[in-house]
This record gives sequence, structure tokens and C-alpha cells, in this order.
Amino acid sequence: MSDQLTQATTNEMSSTTTTRRTLLKGFAAAGAAVTLAGKAWADGEIGYWAKDLPNEKLIEMYQTILRIRWFERTLADKQLSDRSFRNLIHLYAGQEAVATGVCAALNNKGAFSEIDVIYGTHRPTGHALAKGVDMKKLAAEYNFKATGLNGGYAGEMHLADKSVGYIGADGIVGPAAVLAAGSAFAFRARGSKQVAVVFGGDGTYATPAFHSSLNNAALLKLPFIYVVENNLYHQFAHYSYSCPMKDIATAASTYRIPGIVVDGQDVMEVYNKMKEAVERARAGEGPTLIEAKTYRYYAHWGAPGAKVGEMGSFGYDPQAITSWRPERELRAWLSRDPVDICRNTLVSWGVIDQAKAAAIEAAMKQEVKEAFEWEAKQPLCKPEDALKNVFIEGTVAARQFG
Amino acid sequence: MATKSSMYAMYEAVQHEMRQRKDMTWLFELTPAVASNPGTPVINLEKEFGRTRVNNTGIDEMWMAGATLGAGLVGTTAVTYIPYQGSQVPFELIQNHAGKLRYMSGGDAAMPVVFIVEISGQAAGFGGQHSDYECDSYYTHIPGVKVVIPSRPYDAKGMMASAIRDPNPVVYLFPQALRQLSEEVPDEQFTVPLDKAAVRTTGSDLTIVSSGAGMVGVMEATAQLQKLGMKVEAIDLRSLKPMDTATLVASVQKTKRLLTFDQSYYTLSPGAEVVARVAENVVGARFKRIAFPDAPPPASPEMFNWMRPNASHIVAAATKFLG
Repeated sequence: MSDQLTQATTNEMSSTTTTRRTLLKGFAAAGAAVTLAGKAWADGEIGYWAKDLPNEKLIEMYQTILRIRWFERTLADKQLSDRSFRNLIHLYAGQEAVATGVCAALNNKGAFSEIDVIYGTHRPTGHALAKGVDMKKLAAEYNFKATGLNGGYAGEMHLADKSVGYIGADGIVGPAAVLAAGSAFAFRARGSKQVAVVFGGDGTYATPAFHSSLNNAALLKLPFIYVVENNLYHQFAHYSYSCPMKDIATAASTYRIPGIVVDGQDVMEVYNKMKEAVERARAGEGPTLIEAKTYRYYAHWGAPGAKVGEMGSFGYDPQAITSWRPERELRAWLSRDPVDICRNTLVSWGVIDQAKAAAIEAAMKQEVKEAFEWEAKQPLCKPEDALKNVFIEGTVAARQFG
Repeated sequence: MATKSSMYAMYEAVQHEMRQRKDMTWLFELTPAVASNPGTPVINLEKEFGRTRVNNTGIDEMWMAGATLGAGLVGTTAVTYIPYQGSQVPFELIQNHAGKLRYMSGGDAAMPVVFIVEISGQAAGFGGQHSDYECDSYYTHIPGVKVVIPSRPYDAKGMMASAIRDPNPVVYLFPQALRQLSEEVPDEQFTVPLDKAAVRTTGSDLTIVSSGAGMVGVMEATAQLQKLGMKVEAIDLRSLKPMDTATLVASVQKTKRLLTFDQSYYTLSPGAEVVARVAENVVGARFKRIAFPDAPPPASPEMFNWMRPNASHIVAAATKFLG
């Protein structure tokens, strides 16, 4: 497999190699799609809710994964090739199925008093796009433009869009969990059926807020779901440096709540488990801890060791302090790509064919291209606007002029 | 109208707002959600509003503050009473989250929340960690959060009503020493502004400025000084952020003498900020600062009572100032 992968060329419709696509076509034909998707189902796990989703919804999920994938790849390529690129980026490529599967099980449209809310991390693109944030405004915010999602105040790490229930990315790792459980507390206090979700990396296991949020959500039976995106590394340290268990989901037993491990690269599996957790929450049965096993193709931030037009940060990472990832580990995860798994599932279910899949991907690439073209034309912030928005009313005084 | 303690008056304000807003929540820990006062009905928030709205948490101030903030972020007016033993534990949540989310989100986030931060530091025998009056300075430095500190029951009630109704996050500092101060407080709900200092006595010889628990010593000293013939203008800050610079400057323009009085430590006390603002705006003013030394409070009454600034210190300093 790896020899074929080294011949990678990515100026194709597919986001992976031609040789691999041919290989996978063969697998699908042999009915072996089940080895990539629906494995738990095949193993006898009851409840494969994704199979009951309408075609439109399934296609939407595929589109979302592709939107995230191409948005992130565009950012990576820009960082590598565009001297004027000044954004900070924490790339989500590789983890798309987690955000997509989770948000597909939530209410994302409607009045703020009725939709479900999510709290995200400093790696926000996937959560934002899956929740329904406008891609153009996202691109503009990442480049600190005045017409960006948050007026240029947020940048990448502090995005927020209440209108779709994206309370926000939290630049500080940890406390978002307590805030999210607090929102769940408010939902229960007002008798609402809304659910609050927090995404956290494997690094959040060590934070006090992880334990505080689960403890209190369990005690009060709050409609709170903690989705741990275990991509094996927090910044540059393997999570075994900070967690005594292989499965972070094991922590749930301390709080007497369900702890579910899920294949984070298979959007259908993520959706299935999330749907169950959401129903439990809405029924008043309390919180769930979901651990999605996943992987990020790029480094903690930026794209060191990557090449324009190719996906993945390989080789020596100058930012790495404690440990860096073996190249073969990255290649192993690349061979089980969330885009491929989703596409193969949809094709094997007869929702789309390969030609339609290619057309969808082309359309999503175009949408991303247009978003960045729009962003490039957007104005920079007015410096004086820095004195606004400290409080809801008024401005603060300028003090830098003496 | 009745004689009420600061604690009872504050709870009256909360109870009124909780009756108006069916979603409003209250999180407490050591301090029961109960207030009683001679001659007035007992207030029991837990009994009246139930345990989905009023919750007794564990020793988890991060949860209390974080949950309050998270509730605010989804549109619920939320209040929490952080006891003095944990007054600084939620600092990061208030500093880096409550204080910054409105700004960072370019106006998307709204947090109609109040963090009651109880502060202590008034009794000998408690010692270092149980005397944490210094929180006044720590919280005041945060942009994006309003910081207020009532010094009497009337303001305790009115400022609590305003804080709850204010759509911004508010840190309501509640000096423990004031819990049992009593005065006449109206029964109906009323508001006191969150950005105005109160001039308690007018005079042209000397301006004395303090806040919270410090006002007890200031008013005592002012009475003594007035008997000695000094015309003292005693100002109660009431709000540390935003600070009422205009009132302070107008007073010292008149008196040209400013004495600040803090129960918290000398370095970076609220009085330091007062002096700086007045110095920028009044030519020819003279300044004096009285504060707790830069040391943790000791347990021994002999040491503590000697260290803690009180009315006699003000009288002596003021006499020297004018003499």
C-alpha cells in the first residue's frame, strides 16, 4: 500500500491518489465497503441510524466533509505559498467526519432559544462549517477582515456565531467544557429540550474543567455531551503523557455516565453514537462522553513539512518539543481517509455514483475557491473600532496617546 | 421600608428579579440561599424557585462561575455567590472568558450575568488565606467586566438590581464585614447606578476616598474630623470599573487634598488608581495613601489590629495633612 501512496498526485477530483481510488473501487465492488464503514454494524452492533437518513441529508454530510477538507487544504497551501498570508491556522484536515457526524445529529437551524449549541476549540474550522457558519465570513475572519464573522476581532481562535448555535471557539484549552455544561444547566432550568455539546481534544482530559463539567453534568443530569476528539497528540506530546488510559471514554465510569468510543473517521458511526447521546440528553437522562478516535494530517498549527498541492505534514517538525509523529503513522491514517469512507458508503448504498461524487467534490472546491476570492476583496478593520464592543454599550477611552 | 442588613437587602433584590424572570438561575456553595432579618419575611431562594434554578454546588468555584457564564451565553440571566474562600478560583474564567467574549466575538456574545465575589479580611484570628480583601484590585483590572462594591445595605440592594438588569457581566464584590450592617431599605425594587460614586459628606478642606468595607472607618473618621472643625468630603467609590473620575476630580479641584483609604494591599490598591486619575486632572493637588501593608494578614490579633488601617489612622493622617 505504501509504495502506491508515495506516487501521490493530488491534482485530481479525488483528494487521494489515483491508484488508491482504483483500489477502493475494487473493494467496493467486492462489497468490502463494510471494511471501511459500518464495521460496528457488521459486528452486530444494534442501531445503525445513519441508514435511515434521507439521501439529501447524507449528501449534505458528504458535502460538509468536503467543504472542511478543501477549506483546510486551501489554508495550508496559502501558508506555504502566499507571502502575504498572515493567518494563524490550526488545521482540522483528517478530523472532518467528527464535526460533521456530531453536528448532523443536532438542531442547527431556527431561533436561538431552540437550537442546540456547540462549544469548540482552537481548531475551529470543522466545528464552524459543520454547524452552519457562512464559509465566506469564516475566510474573512481568519484574515482579520472587517466584514469577517466577528468583525476581525476574533481571528481563528475565537470565532462565534450565535445564529447557528456556535457559541464559539475557545482559545484556552479547558474551560469551554464548564461553559457548555452551564448552558446545559440553563436549558434544564428553563425546561427546554436543547442540548449543549463541547468538543475537546485528548489534551482536555488533564484539565480540571473536564472533570468538573462531567461531574456536575452527571450530578444534575444535564443535557450535555462531551465529544473528545482524540487525535493522539496534544500539541506535540502523545496523550499517554497526560492520560493513564488508552480510551479516554473510560473516564465516564467515574461519573456513572455512558462513555462511548467511536471510529472518528467514519461519519456514519459518529452520527449513530451522537444521535443516541442526543436522544438520551433530550429525554432528561443526562450527559454522555463520546471519544472519537481520529487524526490530524497537519501539525498542531501551521503546515510544517507540507508541500503545496499535497496533503499532510511530514518529516521533521521544528515546533515539536516532546515527541513528533512518525511519518508511517500519518500514512497509516491517510489510508483510512474520512472523505473516502463517506463517499464509499454513499456509493455502496446507491445514494450517489462515482461521477456524482466527483461532481460534488468539484462543486465544493469551487465554493471554497469563491469564498477566498470574496475574502481577498474584503476591507481591513478600522483601527478606531478597537475601542468598541468591550461592553454592549459605548466605547472605552483611548489611553495610548497620553 | 424596614431596617435591613446588607445581606438581606441584597437577597431581596435577587428574589424580586428571580420572580420576574422564570429562567433566572442562582448557584451557591457554602453560603445558603437563605436570608433572614428581624421583622421581615425569610427569603429562601431554593425553596421558592426549586432546585433546577437554584443549586447548591460542591466546592467547585470553576463550575459555579463557568456554569453561570455558560447560562448567560444562551440567554439566561444567571447569578452566582462565590464565598470568600474561593474568591479567586474562578478568576481565569472571569478574566479570560467573561471579560473578553463580547469583544473577541465582535459583539456576538451576550452575558447577562453577575458574579458575587465575597471578600473578607476584617477580623483578627482568620489569618492569611481567609483574609482576601485584595480581590478588589485583581478583578478591577479586567476589561469587559463591570466591578462594583457596595458599602451599605441601601446600595447593596440597588446595585444588585442594576447588576442583574445590566446585560454585561458584573463582578459584585461583597465585603463580608458588611453582611451585618443595617439601615432603612425600601421594600420595593429600586436601582442604584453602576457607574457613580457617592459623595457621603461635603466639605472643602480634604477629600477622603474609599470603597466597600473601608467606608466604615472613613465615616467614623469623618465624624471625628468634623468635630475638630475640619470640612471633609467623604466619597464612596461604589464602582471600581467604570470608576467615576468626574466626581473625584471635581472634589479635589475644590479641596486640593486627597487621602485614599484601602483595606487591600498598598501596591496597586484601588486608591492608587484614584490618585493617578486625580493627579492627571488636578494641578497642585497633594496626596496621601493609607493602605494595608504589602503582607498577608497574620492571625494574631495584636499584629492584625496594628496592621489594619482604621479610623484613627485616617484622623492622624488627615490632621498632619492639614497641619
